[in-house]
Amino acid sequence: MLDERTIERIAEEVVRRLKESGAFPDAAPAAKEPPPAAEGADLASPEQKAIPLLENAADPEALLRMKKRTTARIGVGRSGPRLNTKTMLTLRADHAKARDAVFADVDPTLISRMGLFTVQTQCDNKDTYLTRPDLGRKLSDDAVRQLREKCISEPDVQIFASDGLSSTAIEANLERILPALTEGLQAKGLKLGTPFFVRFGRVGAEDHVAEVLKAKVVCVLIGERPGLATAESMSAYIVYDAHIGIPEAKRTVVSNIHKDGLTAVEAGAYITEVIEKILQQKKSGVDLVK
Amino acid sequence: MDLGTTLGGRRFTFRSIKEVLAKANEEKSGDKLAGVAAESVLERIAAKEVLSRLSVRDLRENPVVPYEEDEVTRMNQDSLDAAVYERVKGWSMAQLREYILSFEAGEEELRRLGKGLTAEVVAGVCKLMSNLDLIYAANKIRIPATCNTTIGLRGHFSTRLQPNHSTDNVEGITASVFEGLSYGCGDALFGLNPVNDTVASLTEVLKRFDEIKNRFEIPTQICVLGHITTQIEAVKRGAPCDMIFQSIAGSEKGNRAFGFTSDTVREAKALLKEKGTAKGPNVLYFETGQGSELSSEAHYGADQVTMEARCYAFAREFSPFMVNTVVGFIGPEYLYDSRQVIRAGLEDHFMGKLSGIPMGCDACYTNHMMADQNDVDNLSMLLASCGVNYLIGVPTSDDVMLNYQTNAYHDAATIREILGLRPITEFEKWLEKMGIMENGKLTPRAGDPTIFTAGR
Amino acid sequence: MSTIVSVGIDIGTSTTQVIFSRITLDNTAGYFSAPRISIVAKEVFYRSEVCFTPLRTPQLIDGDAVREIVAREYRLAGLSPQAVDTGAVIITGESARKENAAEVLRKLSDFAGEFVVSTAGPDLESIIAGKGSGAWQYSIENDCSVANLDVGGGTTNIVVFRSGETAAKSCYDIGGRLIRLDRDKVIQYISPAAQKVAQEIGLSLRTGERADVDILRKITGRMASLLAEAVGLKPETPLLSAVRTPGSSLPERTERISRLCFSGGVADCMENSRAGTADEFRFGDIGMLLGRSIREDAALSAVRRVPANETIRATVVGAGTYTTTLSGSTISYSDGIFPLKNVPALKLSYQEQQSFLDGSSEGLYEKCRWFLEQSDTDRMLLAIPGRLDPTWQEIRQMAHGIYQALSRALPEKEPVVVVVEQDIAKALGNAMKQEAAGRRPVAAIDSIRVEAGDFVDIGRPLMDGLVVPVVVKTLLFG
Repeated sequence: MLDERTIERIAEEVVRRLKESGAFPDAAPAAKEPPPAAEGADLASPEQKAIPLLENAADPEALLRMKKRTTARIGVGRSGPRLNTKTMLTLRADHAKARDAVFADVDPTLISRMGLFTVQTQCDNKDTYLTRPDLGRKLSDDAVRQLREKCISEPDVQIFASDGLSSTAIEANLERILPALTEGLQAKGLKLGTPFFVRFGRVGAEDHVAEVLKAKVVCVLIGERPGLATAESMSAYIVYDAHIGIPEAKRTVVSNIHKDGLTAVEAGAYITEVIEKILQQKKSGVDLVK
Repeated sequence: MDLGTTLGGRRFTFRSIKEVLAKANEEKSGDKLAGVAAESVLERIAAKEVLSRLSVRDLRENPVVPYEEDEVTRMNQDSLDAAVYERVKGWSMAQLREYILSFEAGEEELRRLGKGLTAEVVAGVCKLMSNLDLIYAANKIRIPATCNTTIGLRGHFSTRLQPNHSTDNVEGITASVFEGLSYGCGDALFGLNPVNDTVASLTEVLKRFDEIKNRFEIPTQICVLGHITTQIEAVKRGAPCDMIFQSIAGSEKGNRAFGFTSDTVREAKALLKEKGTAKGPNVLYFETGQGSELSSEAHYGADQVTMEARCYAFAREFSPFMVNTVVGFIGPEYLYDSRQVIRAGLEDHFMGKLSGIPMGCDACYTNHMMADQNDVDNLSMLLASCGVNYLIGVPTSDDVMLNYQTNAYHDAATIREILGLRPITEFEKWLEKMGIMENGKLTPRAGDPTIFTAGR
Repeated sequence: MSTIVSVGIDIGTSTTQVIFSRITLDNTAGYFSAPRISIVAKEVFYRSEVCFTPLRTPQLIDGDAVREIVAREYRLAGLSPQAVDTGAVIITGESARKENAAEVLRKLSDFAGEFVVSTAGPDLESIIAGKGSGAWQYSIENDCSVANLDVGGGTTNIVVFRSGETAAKSCYDIGGRLIRLDRDKVIQYISPAAQKVAQEIGLSLRTGERADVDILRKITGRMASLLAEAVGLKPETPLLSAVRTPGSSLPERTERISRLCFSGGVADCMENSRAGTADEFRFGDIGMLLGRSIREDAALSAVRRVPANETIRATVVGAGTYTTTLSGSTISYSDGIFPLKNVPALKLSYQEQQSFLDGSSEGLYEKCRWFLEQSDTDRMLLAIPGRLDPTWQEIRQMAHGIYQALSRALPEKEPVVVVVEQDIAKALGNAMKQEAAGRRPVAAIDSIRVEAGDFVDIGRPLMDGLVVPVVVKTLLFG
């Protein structure tokens, strides 16, 4: 029987020959498609949201200034006492993005591209994940087995990623933050654990991970509950000498990691220093002197 | 006391009244998480049947948190109206339900009745009510309260204007206040949830609210919903403040997890009497929500509806101006979907009214729940039709600081127009003076926040 | 929370002042966020007397005497030069054009130790005065446009703030000491600008002659109406551009002004001139007359007045409390690299920075070499917009390109410093440190905007090294 790797090689070879023969063109480069024509202006884009829908304001300039001062959806006008159609659709579009961030899975090709493997908590679907936070804090038996097999033991720092409440956040930030963090920590001469991905994970799963791998410091990169402003926000929760049942106050948190908040690479550089401090002081959370 | 029953050919026995109360609850994910929910639909109904045969006295004498351990239980038990209780203590819960729904029980009777019921009794009767029962019964009762103006009078429907901002920027907050006012919102309160719970930040926003209130002569109330101790400190240092806020729980342990006790609330009330900017006498604001006790492991194995009723028992000891449940905020592990949220909203409103407190509701949802804006529309109409004192208003239903959705500024005017409800009278007169409202309807000028800045 | 002390020194045409303020910094980010250090309070705790600026000749400031004044004020305030963390020296008005400004600055620089020394062009001066007077804050709090007119001895600095944004700025040679008289009202000095005003209205003025008060009133009346022209309340006449201070911006006519605020010494005269005509020349100049003319000008009176928090001290308070800004709170720098003073900035546009985003350094190296030659200097920093949400690979390449180019172009041991607008400095700086591998100091700081031709001062790190104070100067003498 052929193993997977052999099949892959054959497939690659076939594709290469077909390309050479001109049978099909190269896939388009990763660059985005040009935006559709003006009639399809993206309602959920910041540019569209900046346009006040209120007509005949007593002071139109003041309205623009007001809108600049808050991200709240003001100056939207009305139809009778109700929202205008565009306002209503924009709201629903933003909500849809947030919902999809919660309920979709992280793209598995991203995880394999980054060389991570996937394990699961004791939740076996999103529904259980959402209603049973206790199960989302415990690794499945299979996960424990895999970690013991594939990861180095007793690292200084164990980093892993988890979907949490936003898969979109992981897709938007993980590729940017993880190399920044890994290289930064390696440059400090620290022993890094083998990174992986935890599906259906709550923050507390890191306590279980720390126990299994005997890590001095554990750091989970996890999707935050999405708001309408962004579904891409990620947090890092870092603990020294974690164990199951450790008080929440022992966690050091860096939140709001996304392109309009703390950008991923900058967060990577910042978290590197936070972890260094935690290792020096041998404590984290409220006990850590920042 | 018989805690067993046979139903549909099956035998059900329950070990305690606490268990009966929990299993009699309509389905809630939070009760499952706590491990106290009925295991089958039939068991749920069996528990309701057992509950219906228990007496008012059974429930009073079996509080879900022991008297000795908990000041909420003590406050509730010790302040009960003895005469009322004596009259009803022998009633079964079924009788109590039927009395509440009967034509004989008018507004005055029900208001008096509530004074003789403990939280467990209020929760128990709630569990025997259908949604329409809850609406019908709650609609009989109005609980007005007075701070600068009077909220909760029949025929009126108010809003808390919630101009939250991602960084507490006062200019951004002001812009949102103007937008809300231009839709006729804000007769209950200008109330901000601050990002920065510091005396300086609270004071800065309170000063701005006070300035807006005075400059435009708006008959309303102001409050910044920091932690109660931060608000006390701000008022001590001279911040203008009509009302002090705190999130409350149904047990002393839950309140301690929130960082206060009943003494803190008494201190706040006394302080406002001396240094507050409102006439009163009702100067406190509380928020609640099913499930908060479980999240701080302060639920003592009780279900979330019973713990919620205990919040109202605690609240009524302080004669607040407003109390609302933040019904969809806590997440799907406590209220899974819109069905559970709507049920909880109606339960909380009914229990609050029967407990004798001026009840509002934050009809809301987070983005990880099975709910959307249509569900807020539904719950709002249901609550307004049974006489809720107030709902929340935020710009276009999107709260940019708390990251959840609730009622839009637009909704108050819509609901008022459909149901013929009016803002608080003085506030309506002010809206007319500003040209925002006429005969209870928005004018063409409404919805323009720049009417407050034009010519400046 | 921590507190720094800032000094403001204003050496004006007629007066010299010193103030000290306390600036309070705090981390305003939530517990769960990366730090965000902000200025949370400013308080002026020492104000000097208003001294006349010592002059050696009518054209030359007496640097030694200025130095003595400053030294005395430090003593009176009980502060040693080492106790002062930041601040600014501003040589304003006609004085700034005087040839010995650079020398005066040098004298103070030696004396004052660590703090930042700078001078203002007329535009920056206008903004500083408008901040010091309170007009800027008022425009934010009341969401309106406020014009601040700082009417001093030699010039009037004008700025228009629209809800906190600088909408227009300009400066005119109109002031209270353009004509000076002795006790017997004999004219001692007439500035060229005053002469132009007199000529336009057909009046003759000569030094050594006794002044005719009516003629002086006509001149100050015309000056007041020029100010009304300058803020767009009257149609512009040719004389206005004739009295515009060299080096100042053209006024922009886009703003409808809803409030006026007056600061500067003449603002006090506006109030005092109400008292009557008893001693209109008590200062030996036309300040009182000009104040009265401004107060009585119909066009200027038609606009609502904002009371100034500071009048004669507006510029010095502005200099002492508003010139220092803070870097972003996630930055990266080699130990001991700061303070850096008067470093010229090579500013690249978004397009120009593309040349090294892929890690190549040749194009950037050429630019740096050219810049160092042009500026006749051997130090510089690079100011770039940066990228929104870059990948780690892009940061590495950017760091490589920048370090290679700058380390080749700069003399040995000179630090490699980048100021970037986007919040990516810690990532970029850490990558640059790896590139440098200890061969020379590097720094990357962010959330600061620098324009072409600016000079930058970066002070010692504050708040446990999280931030650095930064002063960006648009003009520098010497």
